[in-house]
Amino acid sequence: MKNISKLIGASMLLIALSIPQNAISGGHSLKVLGWGAKSGPLKSFGVNSEAALRSAVAEINAAGGVRMGDGSMAPMEVIGYEDSACKKDEAIAILRKTASTTDAIVGMGTTCSGVCQAMFGVLQKKRGDDSDSGVQMPILADTCIRPGLAKISDWSFRNVPNEITMYDELFKWIRTAYPNVKTFTGGSETDQGHSFVTYTAIIAQMAVKHGFQWVGPPVPELGPKVKQGMKELQAAAKSQHWLMGDTNYTVQARKIKKQNADMVIVASHPFSACGFMKEMKRQRVKPKLMVGLTSSASQETLNGCMSAAEGIIIPTGFAPITSEAKKANSIVSKAGGFLDLHSAAAWENAYLIKHAVERTSIMGKPSTLQEDRRKFRNALASITSQKGLIGHLTRDGSTGEASKPYVYVQVVNGKWKVIHDPNS
Amino acid sequence: MEDFLYEAVEIIQTIWDGILFGSTYALIGIGFTLIFGAMGKLNMAYAGAAIAGAYVGLAVSLFFDATIIFVFAVSAVISTLLGYIVYQTCFRFIPTHNHLAALMASVGGLFFIDELIVLATLGSPMNFPGLFEDAYFEIGPFGIRGDLLFVFLIGIVSTLLLLYVLFKTRLGMATRAVAQQDIAAQLCGINIHRTNSITFSIAGLLGGIAGAMTAAAVGVLSPVMTVPLTIKGLIVTVIGGLGSIPGAIIAGLFVGAFENFFLYIRGIDERDMYVVALLFIFLIFRPNGIFSKTINRD
Repeated sequence: MKNISKLIGASMLLIALSIPQNAISGGHSLKVLGWGAKSGPLKSFGVNSEAALRSAVAEINAAGGVRMGDGSMAPMEVIGYEDSACKKDEAIAILRKTASTTDAIVGMGTTCSGVCQAMFGVLQKKRGDDSDSGVQMPILADTCIRPGLAKISDWSFRNVPNEITMYDELFKWIRTAYPNVKTFTGGSETDQGHSFVTYTAIIAQMAVKHGFQWVGPPVPELGPKVKQGMKELQAAAKSQHWLMGDTNYTVQARKIKKQNADMVIVASHPFSACGFMKEMKRQRVKPKLMVGLTSSASQETLNGCMSAAEGIIIPTGFAPITSEAKKANSIVSKAGGFLDLHSAAAWENAYLIKHAVERTSIMGKPSTLQEDRRKFRNALASITSQKGLIGHLTRDGSTGEASKPYVYVQVVNGKWKVIHDPNS
Repeated sequence: MEDFLYEAVEIIQTIWDGILFGSTYALIGIGFTLIFGAMGKLNMAYAGAAIAGAYVGLAVSLFFDATIIFVFAVSAVISTLLGYIVYQTCFRFIPTHNHLAALMASVGGLFFIDELIVLATLGSPMNFPGLFEDAYFEIGPFGIRGDLLFVFLIGIVSTLLLLYVLFKTRLGMATRAVAQQDIAAQLCGINIHRTNSITFSIAGLLGGIAGAMTAAAVGVLSPVMTVPLTIKGLIVTVIGGLGSIPGAIIAGLFVGAFENFFLYIRGIDERDMYVVALLFIFLIFRPNGIFSKTINRD
């Protein structure tokens, strides 16, 4: 009998311990759950985004919290920040778990475009479509910048600049700011979907649109429209690209040296961008201008190749140019993170959530969870403009595409410096 | 004619660059082959430990503003230590007849080291000081990187030193004895674990130099380097002949040239496909590699 009692006691303790804290929390709070890469080579994405999200939530709570449907003020609570490692299967598993076992009203993740694309694919495509058994959970992504992702599901939301506009405006500005730059070439990492597609479908076309002449291998089909000549460009310039983990860039740098372009586009993440730029420096390739991929406008590039990257211009969705941005930057730095185009979106997303919740009547109780998620989604979808860290975040209600402000930064004396603000 | 000459120059330069860069693969391959020669097992954590050594060397240089030679020395010492630890954790207590268990343990070791690096650096690439960074010699239409020439020389010197240790010292004799027949070696009074520990440490020392050399050649350190280097090291080891040190050197240079050539003529998407095809060709037609003694495939 004594043993049976012990067994029952131990079983009850085990059951109690195995129930997630968030599932039994009946407190009146607004729960959110985030995820991002907290392991693997892209760990900095998740670490910085988590620090930014938690810091912004702490700021919101210090200012009184969020007004709920019953008029009371409730704290926002980050009930977890999971590690999706920028892997599709991990992110989908976290999304499903979040939707079914937690009372988070919104999922916040996850930086990497390819992962968002896969994750958005398991969401219900059209809200209210009973024949679609997809997950009904609002997702608000920090970045996931690849164009077109928002239209995958009514439940997916992003906070990103529009890359097409960003590079369109960049080359338009370069045309006037650097009149002696007339020709261009470049390279990208082919195993990273965002880098390669953005380079061959957007960046090259926008450069052509503004009168820059492509001097790489002949691609007669290359034109000023998005994706015009994309496949032909991918095929023609295949030996001046690289992979993310490559260690040898001699062939690519020499090809680009021979092309003697005024402007070299380095459409790559920091590690391979640094390897390539260092090889260009060794081979004494000295273009008048280098243009980079937005994902490289980060501290990682300075850590990896400050000197070789000197002069590179990159459009980015964050720079500490306003008092709000400076304050956020300081707070996140103290929390052990770093604000960049990815993590700044996580900060802004916390305020987007507060704004959306206060637009509708969310109760934040377990019994109203599904209804709250629906109301929240609708409220988030109705927001077409909201103040962000460096300007107004906007969203096209018909296409679902977000558009946040951006600036152009350049590595000057080993530091990122804002050289142009198109909004000013 | 002009086009033909231009292409000829480009292809020669491409192959030459590949050969020089292949010396980093050769250094990694030597470590793999040394351990395989001694134990008949593959240490998959080898390239990870080599890169980890380079990271520690870099960290020391950041804290103490050390010279590049000091960075290399620290990298070598740390990798030596890691080589010893990898032996103790992934090989020593695994049953000797169970090759798969040791292999999987060392794969675990690779991921563990990789994750430690990520934990310490958040995965961020780190600038690594170059060796003879400005030494780029232009001879007519050709260009030669001085730092890669140095890596090439280091590879040759390392091979000679290793061959000396293996064939002219008591330690080398003990290593070869353990490799040939461990029980007989033990009966002759050789301490197998001590010999294996020293072999792993020597391989680690070489790995530290290789890791630092590779990082200096790229100019950047990142955890994304460990898996590709492991794969290249394995390919080099198999093509060179498992257990053959001169084979690892020749195969390293050959693979470097081969992949650069195919990058030039077929592009990045197909480059690795040809390297893997080369591996298959060797596995089918010369399964013991370039230099290894012919043994029955069964």
